[in-house]
Amino acid sequence: MITHKDPIQIFLADDDEDDRNFFSEAITELKMENRVTTFKDGKDLMDYLEKPDSRLPHILFLDLNMPCKTGFDCLKEIRTNSRFKDISIAIYSTSSSEKDIEETFVGGANIYIKKPNDFSKLKKVIKDVVNINWQFHSSGLNKETFFFSI
Amino acid sequence: MKFPKLYKSTQIFKIALVIAIVVIGYIASVFYSKMKSLDASVELIATSNQTQLELEKLLSIISNYETNLRSYIITKDDVYLKDRFLSRGEIALNIKRLKVLTSDNPIVNRDLDSLQRMFDYRFKLFRETLTIAKSNNFDRNELNEALLKSTNFTNQMRTFVYKRINTESQKLKKLNDNHQFELEDSIVSAFLLVLLSLLILLLSFNKMRVDINELKKTNDELKFLNHSFNNAEKIAGFGHWKYNLDTQKYTFSDNFYRLLGIEPQSFDSNLENVMDFVHPDDAEYVLQTHKQSLIDHQSTNIMLRYVLKTGEIRYIMSVGSFTRNSLGNLVKVGVNYDITEQFQKTLELEDSNKHLKAINSELESFNNIVSHDLQEPMRKIQMFISRLKEKEADVLSDQGKDYFSKINLAANRMQTLMIDLVNYTRTIKGDKIFVKTSLEKILDQVQADLSQNIEEKKAKITVKNLPVIQAIPFQMEQLFINLISNSLKYSRENVIPKISITGEKINDSDQYDDISISDKKCYKIVVSDNGIGFKQEYAERIFMLFQRLETDSKYTGTGLGLAICKKIIENHNGYIKAKSAPGEGTKFFIYLPKNT
Repeated sequence: MITHKDPIQIFLADDDEDDRNFFSEAITELKMENRVTTFKDGKDLMDYLEKPDSRLPHILFLDLNMPCKTGFDCLKEIRTNSRFKDISIAIYSTSSSEKDIEETFVGGANIYIKKPNDFSKLKKVIKDVVNINWQFHSSGLNKETFFFSI
Repeated sequence: MKFPKLYKSTQIFKIALVIAIVVIGYIASVFYSKMKSLDASVELIATSNQTQLELEKLLSIISNYETNLRSYIITKDDVYLKDRFLSRGEIALNIKRLKVLTSDNPIVNRDLDSLQRMFDYRFKLFRETLTIAKSNNFDRNELNEALLKSTNFTNQMRTFVYKRINTESQKLKKLNDNHQFELEDSIVSAFLLVLLSLLILLLSFNKMRVDINELKKTNDELKFLNHSFNNAEKIAGFGHWKYNLDTQKYTFSDNFYRLLGIEPQSFDSNLENVMDFVHPDDAEYVLQTHKQSLIDHQSTNIMLRYVLKTGEIRYIMSVGSFTRNSLGNLVKVGVNYDITEQFQKTLELEDSNKHLKAINSELESFNNIVSHDLQEPMRKIQMFISRLKEKEADVLSDQGKDYFSKINLAANRMQTLMIDLVNYTRTIKGDKIFVKTSLEKILDQVQADLSQNIEEKKAKITVKNLPVIQAIPFQMEQLFINLISNSLKYSRENVIPKISITGEKINDSDQYDDISISDKKCYKIVVSDNGIGFKQEYAERIFMLFQRLETDSKYTGTGLGLAICKKIIENHNGYIKAKSAPGEGTKFFIYLPKNT
């Protein structure tokens, strides 16, 4: 359960180094630098999560197109493990195809973010997502609110 | 006409024939009895004539006798007495004959008896007269008296006999009348009989003629049908076969043999001979299916291959079903047709379909490349541009800043182009699933999507009377996004853009490329703006791919937006056209069918 007293922990799994850098820079500029951990692909992420003593994030930003283990695979594994039930998952992808949105929605992701093409927009997205009242968002979840429009 | 119909009915004709035969039988029997009675009356007339004759003969004998006696008295010559006894016997015979003739009539018989007595008495008188005449010295007075007495009696007898003759002749007259009447009656009966027979004969003959004609016609038709059928089989490339389950005999049509590549009827029609031509791989299945059907009487539908004597392989479709023939025998009737050409065409089609699918999936991956793989670096370029702009803009010279902003514009334009391309390909392929769509709701969504743009331009958008239609929702959304974006983009400077989207009633004069459109069949939606407009001559060009009217850099565009709109409308079996004039705004007319 996420409460305001807990400092929010954010994970990002993305195989693109530039994107990881943009993300980290944005977090830094938002002054939340000590709360983010990045993983270079799905396998890296899952290996970490599956360690019994691992620290779990509050929000996981998940890229879809990754080598070895795709975002879809990670989503499926996380949502079938009850230990991870409190993790909010934000899909973070270049694609905005209906198929991907539909599949991840059904797969149990909480929000779908299309990667922005402007740094200021990226900062806004991260800020907004972190500030979402997740409990409220999840209970009223539907396909219209699932796709996060910037 | 009712008569010809009745005439044609064999049942009615049979009944008429029976009635006619009964009537003829009746008339014939009447005729027969008439003839019989006629015969009897002829006999009666003959008898009556005979009686009359005999009676007259009697009288003549008596007269003869009397004359002879007188002659003797005068001449005393014995010659005149010679026939005396002979005449007597003749009279006896005469009376006897009369008695036979009138045996059935007691009154006449009695008369005859008295006549007999009268003759006896007359002869006694003769004898007395003769005795007087013979004596040598006879008293002349006595003789005269005797002669007078005799003459008187003869007259008396004559009167009696004439009376009898009279009766007979009266009877004869009556009989004759009767006979005449019966004769006429018989003639009428005979005439009727002949007439009726003739009528029946004529009717029967005509009926026969009609029947024969009909039969001939049917026969001709059947012959023709058979001929055409054979021809049809030949042309259409099918042959038929029959198997009678009761007689266990097969029948094959001529073309059945031709399908096997051999002359018609060149082998005995049985299953074994046909199986020689069936491809060994198909034989078991064919036999099994066929034999099973002979047990359960279910229709069969078999595809098989023939191996012709030339080694050529033909694909054959064989369908069979069960029916009963006129004898009530169960028969399996089937048709075999050569589907080799179709089958090969199907194979070819499947092949080219596979090829097309391969091309399609290549196109799809190309689409993926555009939509994802190309966008990925593009997005990163834009991202770096935004980083540079934020952090490093100050260190650039003025010209550097200018170049930099041009890079930014070019990158943005490229991104829009890629998004439009993706949208365009999405309208071409993809599932076209039509659902009930409220255009009012679609417009709400569109306005939300474009809200930033609308706010920037301070545009006024009005939506009115939009229908609920069967449509592909995301395409409808795309359509109005493109149209409204277009209006916003080509708005006049310093004029607040006014855009209205209205459902309208269709006038009788509405036309699209000579196709008249009626209110019954279509919805009409008008999107109008107060933008810069264009010359009406370009009204069709604007919908073509990559065609742009404005080259001024302040109007950014890809030339895809309206092409996408046109494609979407085509997907919905509708029409779109534009009406505009420079500086007067543009109107887009959309027609969408009411029942898709």
